[in-house]
Amino acid sequence: MDIAANINSIRQLRNPGLGLGLRSKHFNHILEQRPAVDWFEVISENFMDSGGRPRHVLRQIAEHYPVVMHGVSLSIGSTDPLNKGYLKKLKALAAEVQPLWVSDHLCWTGVNGLNTHDLLPVVLNEESLQHICARINEAQDYMERPMVFENPSTYLTFKQSTIAEWDFLRYMTEETGCGLLLDVNNVYVSSFNNDFDPVHYIQQLPHQQVVQMHIAGHQHCGDYIIDTHDRKVVQDVWKLFNLAWQLTGGVATLLEWDNHIPEFDDYHAELLKARQYMDALAMDQLTGTETKQPYEPGIAVSNPVDFLVHSMEL
Amino acid sequence: MNGYTGLIDDYTMEKEALSYTDLQQWMQGMILRQGVEPGSKIAGHTIMDVVNASGRLSAMRHLDIYRGSYIARLRECMRNQFHTLAHALEAPLFEAFADDYLATYPSQSYTLNNLGERFPAFLEETRPDAGLALKETWPDFMIELAKFEYAISMIFDEAADGDTIMADEATPDEQLKLAPVLHLFHHSYPVCKYYLDHAQKKEPELPFPEESHCAVVRQHYKLGLFVVNRAQYHFLGLLQSRSSLAAAMESTGAQFQINMAGTIWEEWRKHFIGSGFFVRG
Repeated sequence: MDIAANINSIRQLRNPGLGLGLRSKHFNHILEQRPAVDWFEVISENFMDSGGRPRHVLRQIAEHYPVVMHGVSLSIGSTDPLNKGYLKKLKALAAEVQPLWVSDHLCWTGVNGLNTHDLLPVVLNEESLQHICARINEAQDYMERPMVFENPSTYLTFKQSTIAEWDFLRYMTEETGCGLLLDVNNVYVSSFNNDFDPVHYIQQLPHQQVVQMHIAGHQHCGDYIIDTHDRKVVQDVWKLFNLAWQLTGGVATLLEWDNHIPEFDDYHAELLKARQYMDALAMDQLTGTETKQPYEPGIAVSNPVDFLVHSMEL
Repeated sequence: MNGYTGLIDDYTMEKEALSYTDLQQWMQGMILRQGVEPGSKIAGHTIMDVVNASGRLSAMRHLDIYRGSYIARLRECMRNQFHTLAHALEAPLFEAFADDYLATYPSQSYTLNNLGERFPAFLEETRPDAGLALKETWPDFMIELAKFEYAISMIFDEAADGDTIMADEATPDEQLKLAPVLHLFHHSYPVCKYYLDHAQKKEPELPFPEESHCAVVRQHYKLGLFVVNRAQYHFLGLLQSRSSLAAAMESTGAQFQINMAGTIWEEWRKHFIGSGFFVRG
């Protein structure tokens, strides 16, 4: 696929506004109330194999709202071959729901045919960059559309990494024309865990290739942070969102909430706070982002996935 | 502080660098292996050889975040998929089985909906009375329950024609056709009743052996679970194998010594239509 054409396609994507993740808990509310949400992001894997209610609900929602497909299993960074069966189903779902775009993560989920169901960190060097760009091109050719990749939350870095993550993402866009999904909360979480400056990270990204942002809550465990998606967004992340909004010129923004999911109206209200953080803030309001948050030692699970298992109705 | 600390300059080539492939094998191995310690090695590389320490955490603690999340995350998914079994086994035993299962059969699927696919077989393989002449009965119940719960999760999402019209009292017998999503189960324990009691938060006790039959039907994308008797199970099974209604009634009547032409069929018909077993053919 033509890289320049991909870049052009990504830059022409429209900003649909403020969106929410589609969760089964809210299916009935959305179908019955048709709330005034700009768009919904759906987890591709929740629907691509479904012949039951999830797919039936998605068809109805896609008739009334713009939809974006967000995946967790493409495993673009893995050294296993791309899963063609998975890609086939992903493409079929995209053909059915006509998403604004299809996204996944800069990560790998397993090797040797196994799947850890985690978004594992990629070693960032020339070898991995070449490998991943080739796979992005392969996936984009198969999907017949440019794809969008998200920076994951990370909890370690490798000694063999030689490229900063923001540069790696930029090289990815240059070599493949793919778009970026900037997860602002992930930048914050990773920066705390791995000792880098989140403001610098966001400043260094290729802003014209950013088509979407994620915001979310996290759990601060004292000497590390876990990306739990189970609570409100902290002030420091809103500040980073503000910076990213200014630098990108404003792109589609989605609030992730995957555990302890609140009632729909509370979820929506938290999303709408984003409107308060779209105007320019002074730089002194953006620096010193590490403020005191309550620490919650104990078990916190990164990338919670139990919401990916269908909740059945008897 | 504008860059990753310790990434570019501090990597000393004390050991031969792992290839990209080997590094992923190394990390997955470290996540899946039980009992990893700071000195543990895979491919000759310790955690400190591969992972950076940060200002707050050692390399081991960085890796432990992935290791701890892996098992906690999948254990929770197993609990969601087998919530009734988890109740029956009680949390500590269920977790022990789930952890051993995940260690023995790590997921090979991109979808978590298949995570528990081999769990019933694993319970059979690892039943505590394996090899003993005198078998305990409770593992049989647990294995039947595990199979049933997994089957239900598959039925919930199976593909089927959504354009069917439900039968009603006025539908003539000759137009009655089994619902496209209807599955029959035969158990040596009252598995369906136990499942329903748990769903209704009745805190059911472990049951004694007792042959039971049930039908699971999906109507308007919702599941209905119904205990049926042996004769009904036989009758519905014949319809599933494409027997005509008349042939199924004749066979059932003969085998169970009942007069299907009388009030029995009227009662069954009403019950089956009310339960969503029939659509209009």
